[in-house]
Amino acid sequence: MKYWYETRAIAHRILTELLRQQRTLILWVIFPVSMLLLNGFILAEGSKITTTEAFKIAAPSTLVGAALFFSSLGGTISTIVAERESKTIKRLFISPLAGISYFLGIFVAYGCVGIGQSLLVYTIAALFGVKFAGSWLLGMIIIFCSIGSYVGMGFLLGTQFARRTEDVNSLVAGFGVPLLMLGGAFVPTSFLPKELLLITQFNPIYHMNEALLKVSYDAEDLNNYDLRLHFVFLVGFLIVSLAGGWLAYRRMLITERRL
Amino acid sequence: MLKIQGLSKFFGDRQVLKDINLHIPSGEIYGLLGRNGAGKTTIINIICNLITPDSGAITIDNQPLGVTTKSLIGIVPQENLLYESLTCAENLDFFATLYGLKGQQKQQKIQECLESVNLGDRSKSIVGTLSGGMKRRVNMAIALVHSPKLVILDEPTTGLDIEARYQIWELINQLRYQGITLLLTTHLLEEAERLCQRIGILKDGQLLIEGNLPELRTVIPAAAILIMHTPLEEMAIARGQSLGFSHHRYGSDLAFWLPEQKSLQEIVSLFDGIAIDSVSVQPVRLENIYVELTRERLELPSALSSSLIS
Repeated sequence: MKYWYETRAIAHRILTELLRQQRTLILWVIFPVSMLLLNGFILAEGSKITTTEAFKIAAPSTLVGAALFFSSLGGTISTIVAERESKTIKRLFISPLAGISYFLGIFVAYGCVGIGQSLLVYTIAALFGVKFAGSWLLGMIIIFCSIGSYVGMGFLLGTQFARRTEDVNSLVAGFGVPLLMLGGAFVPTSFLPKELLLITQFNPIYHMNEALLKVSYDAEDLNNYDLRLHFVFLVGFLIVSLAGGWLAYRRMLITERRL
Repeated sequence: MLKIQGLSKFFGDRQVLKDINLHIPSGEIYGLLGRNGAGKTTIINIICNLITPDSGAITIDNQPLGVTTKSLIGIVPQENLLYESLTCAENLDFFATLYGLKGQQKQQKIQECLESVNLGDRSKSIVGTLSGGMKRRVNMAIALVHSPKLVILDEPTTGLDIEARYQIWELINQLRYQGITLLLTTHLLEEAERLCQRIGILKDGQLLIEGNLPELRTVIPAAAILIMHTPLEEMAIARGQSLGFSHHRYGSDLAFWLPEQKSLQEIVSLFDGIAIDSVSVQPVRLENIYVELTRERLELPSALSSSLIS
């Protein structure tokens, strides 16, 4: 119960801060909506397909490739950097708060943001006639695996590479934008040259996009070889990023545990 | 309440704490003084279980230092470590939850703490909109929300105006009357003089001396201190020496240790023929003791030294 109360307190605090500041939340609404509309219309025009088809393809990549990337990864980095800058993290170290609760609290907070963004993206897609074709459960698992991976990566980057708020932008842009391009968040990977497609196979965002696309568009389940491959890569990446995030957090404890 | 025995700590090759022994009974305000880098914050870090000592033992309320002692300690850090976009009550609510408080008891305690720091009517105010003094009081309320037995105040009034300082001092005294043990570090010697029952002075990781103010005063073999401003300092020093007054400097002040109390009239006549801008006689203050001890090691009488440093 201790972990549950602590997790809830951390998540509640982050969400309250976001709601109070409003600006970030508004931008996290504007970003996926504009990305989905742009992706959908460009894809419909460029590929000569119907808008429904285009939005069906654009929705997964807009959600996991772009929206969740900036909210879950960028948000986690911002939370950690803000705590370090304001030094409130030291007060957390003094308290009996367990590290696992801190991690889970951030995951739950950005999970809530992610659910909101998922509902938003698929509601708008539904307005263009899109229906989620496959298993909702599998789709949600993929979305939560993506959020978990981003939070883990956020811990790693936030604790090791970002000390000031200004670092967040450069870090997200430097790491993120090329990965998003190669992951198919802005243009479908079918547009990429062969050489880049090879690199893309090692890009977790590509596998997140493809896994959700296969479930939502092709109505595939885990019996499908391609989907299984993407899903296994995603789970593997989730484990690696959680372990990396946790180790990075432990390392930060050693250096920051001073008043 | 707090017992520290044989505490030592190295950072690399540098020994930052050397065999510190300290015992603070319940309900006492203990002042820990020392220059920057003397080891005060390292002691606090160890008590808060943030860093581990190389040797020595600490008990709080007879419990060895560990995760369980975290809830026995409340800390008021130097800086206001607050969530600025949350309200006062939300800040307290967050930390109260981390310390395991729930439901009605939690809400009651939050209101109680805010009222105790005179912010009962500001519970819904956003912390970022408060003045520096108010933020410091919220900082203090957070340290009290889980009813700790030991409160550590790390320079609690640094950077505050005099009014806000008085309010914090009043709060500290109230805590003592409630039976809470307080460990106070400060660079404001007046603060330590006003608030602390006992004071320890650290230098280079060593506890040089500890005791109450009358005990500490015995370090300086003087009944009073004469502070003089004169353009003819050399003449004044020579005259002072001929009268058996040893001379010292406290900042730009020229001071003489007076072996016995003298009136201003007597002093003026003793320094007759030397132009004096101003002169005052004051009792031996903590400031004088602190400066002497931290500037250079005084030759403490061995009996006094062993009785004061336990």
